[in-house]
Amino acid sequence: MWAIANRLVGSLAVLWIVSVVLFALVHAIPVSPARVVLGADASDSDITEFDHDHGLDRPLIEQYARWIGGVSHGDFGVSVIDGAVISREIGQTLPVTLELVVLAFILALGLAIPLGIVSAFYEDGWIDHLARGLAVLGVSIPSFWLGLMLIAWGAVGLGWFPAGGYEPISEGLGPHLRSLVLPAVALGIYYVAIISRMTRSSVGEVLAADHVRVSRAMGLGRRRILVYVLKCALSPVVTVAAMSFGYMFGWALIVEQVFNIAGMSHALLNAVMRRDYLAIEDVVLVFTALFLAANLAADILYRVLDPRLAE
Amino acid sequence: MDLRRRTLLGAAAASAGAGLLDPRIALGADKTLTIALPNNPTTFDPIVTSNHDAMAISNLIFENLLDVDVNGDPVPSLAYKMPTISDDALTFTFDLRDDVAFQNGAKFSAEDVKYSYDYMLNPANKSIRRAQFAPIEEVVVESPTRVVFKMRQPFRPWLVYMTKFMGVFPKGSREAEGNAYFANTPIGVGTGAGIFVDWQKDSQITMKKNPNYWRKGVPAWDRLVAKIVPEDATRVAYLMTKQAQIISAPPPRDFQRLKTEPGIVAGSKVAVGGMWFMQINNKRPPFDDVNFRKAVACGVDRKKIAQDVFYGLMDASATPAATVTSYYNADADAAVSYNPEKARAYLAKSRYAAKPEFEMLVLSLPYLFDQRDAAVVIQSQLAAVGITMKITLMEQPQVLAHAMAGTQVASMMPLMGPSDPTFLIKINYTPGQIMSKATGYSNPALDAAITESYKYTDSKRLDPILKQIQSILVEDSPNVWLGFVVTANAWRSEVKDFKPNAGLTMEVRDVTFG
Repeated sequence: MWAIANRLVGSLAVLWIVSVVLFALVHAIPVSPARVVLGADASDSDITEFDHDHGLDRPLIEQYARWIGGVSHGDFGVSVIDGAVISREIGQTLPVTLELVVLAFILALGLAIPLGIVSAFYEDGWIDHLARGLAVLGVSIPSFWLGLMLIAWGAVGLGWFPAGGYEPISEGLGPHLRSLVLPAVALGIYYVAIISRMTRSSVGEVLAADHVRVSRAMGLGRRRILVYVLKCALSPVVTVAAMSFGYMFGWALIVEQVFNIAGMSHALLNAVMRRDYLAIEDVVLVFTALFLAANLAADILYRVLDPRLAE
Repeated sequence: MDLRRRTLLGAAAASAGAGLLDPRIALGADKTLTIALPNNPTTFDPIVTSNHDAMAISNLIFENLLDVDVNGDPVPSLAYKMPTISDDALTFTFDLRDDVAFQNGAKFSAEDVKYSYDYMLNPANKSIRRAQFAPIEEVVVESPTRVVFKMRQPFRPWLVYMTKFMGVFPKGSREAEGNAYFANTPIGVGTGAGIFVDWQKDSQITMKKNPNYWRKGVPAWDRLVAKIVPEDATRVAYLMTKQAQIISAPPPRDFQRLKTEPGIVAGSKVAVGGMWFMQINNKRPPFDDVNFRKAVACGVDRKKIAQDVFYGLMDASATPAATVTSYYNADADAAVSYNPEKARAYLAKSRYAAKPEFEMLVLSLPYLFDQRDAAVVIQSQLAAVGITMKITLMEQPQVLAHAMAGTQVASMMPLMGPSDPTFLIKINYTPGQIMSKATGYSNPALDAAITESYKYTDSKRLDPILKQIQSILVEDSPNVWLGFVVTANAWRSEVKDFKPNAGLTMEVRDVTFG
């Protein structure tokens, strides 16, 4: 319990450090967001006035204190670009990204773990070679290109899926899922490759262990052996899977852009393009918190799978 | 019946798959027009908007006394005819339509016009377009259907500026609704064909037909959905899969192919207000030498770039005027157009013949179009005449900041203004303007010619002055002009009466369905 509490405190410290670095980096951008809002033909005095009106000319420490103070109370502030309430924007876009990432994660686990196990059981067989080939392809194909190919195949070619956009579930389950299938595949395929190779390696290692050989010699059935093997082999897979879940939020930025999904990653990219300082800081901070939460969950799961760690 | 577990699972999977893989991608309901635009609006308020895609929407909500046709020429709108202009060009009298109502039901009158312009001109209201209308001295209401604008000096361009930078809203509406209302939810405060319904940030904007619109039978659509699709390839896929019926800015490499696709029409129009040029600093070496400037100008093969890099979606011009305009000066163009021999001769005469090199700032992310490939081609063309151009990629706001401070040597810049022929010339080559320091150039003869041009609206008297302005500029070559942006659109063949617009914005008011 203390270990978990320690990790929680550590995560909060990391979150605070990230907030400081993030704030400093965003404010190191040499040009005011006013240039984006007011356009190419705005004068210097217009820019100065805009900065003053939005508090961008205040000392940086004061701006940071105001921002982090608000965030700690759940107030993410108001966009300097369009005056939108950012907590509302996050509330609207985070579920979209979360759903996409969870779907891609389920897809990745659902394909990668069986593939890794089968590869380990039939080491150096044709299925292992095939899985290895697929893994090399999975990690080599850029998700941007894969997304475009999926659109060309599934939307333009076959007409089974929309070319882009997100249909909320209120539009019906079919359209909703259709709008998420291709993006989830584009996002998840890289992690199928990563997780399947980790599973294969870990399962292979356990299969060669003495206790498994003894179990076989004692005549235990394949299913029972598989259960024992998985209990031992899944710990490193959980770590990789948790890290993958966190990284997926980063890759979602590209996938949401290609598939035109108005999620939080898409909002982050727009915020970067528009120099929307506050929105950039808020969204990145939320992503960091999600990444830390995924790692914390992995820690807990790790302890459940391996009771020696809890002791 | 033997319903085994596997059979049940199979049936469930099949029905789920059938639902999931329904090949019918939903089109909008009848009379819904769906368009795809590349950029996110930041506001719909006509007095502060600077985004061309936002104007495609805000121009449907807000109207003005005049509008521009697809060629960029002013035509009557809320004024039922073009204004009467006094002989001294200081008084513009507009007779207004008396059959116009705002979307909130209030009758439109001259009082609304005066209120709107007074509001925009009041410095306290922080309109970013106030400077463009500064010559307006006073707005006088003569009757409910007649309004008079009195000017401090002759100033023709404001007739075009109003079509892009201004809109008329009801008297008292700013105090009643507040500026945020105009920026985010401008329901009922325009006279236009579309009534604002909903704006899902970064995703889509929805509008509905104004049933009481004064142009009878317009619009033909009941609902307009503008989807924001920044990715070029995805926007094209939207068109191919019928998720959108009109898209703006298809990538040049796909444009010719789209023309041959069944069920798709593609068209283009030169945007006479969209100039692409090398904004070079005449105060800094090596561009403080006119011979070097002309060497660069003559070293660039614009037509080849227009064809090979932009696939024809660029109007190559060596002067600050599009070749499609009546005032284009072909002789001036010929003086500084591509001629490698001439370029080498100018270079030999320049003070920098021994070390002919400079740094060019190029936008790292596309604005209006992607110019990075073109920059590399220009680099190789200049190398062929002995000039070394170093390319530095930089984001647009930083390039603009450098340019406006006059700290850059050269930057490759697309600028988009109203279709008035002197707008970009004025802001770049006359003193006290926002881009004056970027070029560091001034010429009293040019100032006088621009001021003289402000007196005229008719092409017969105006064109010779505009040609003279080009001659003056080409003689001094303060910048290297490369061409004019071409507006391109692609649309489904069931969409009728749609034409690409020279003002760059997408005009969908008059679209009908086949």
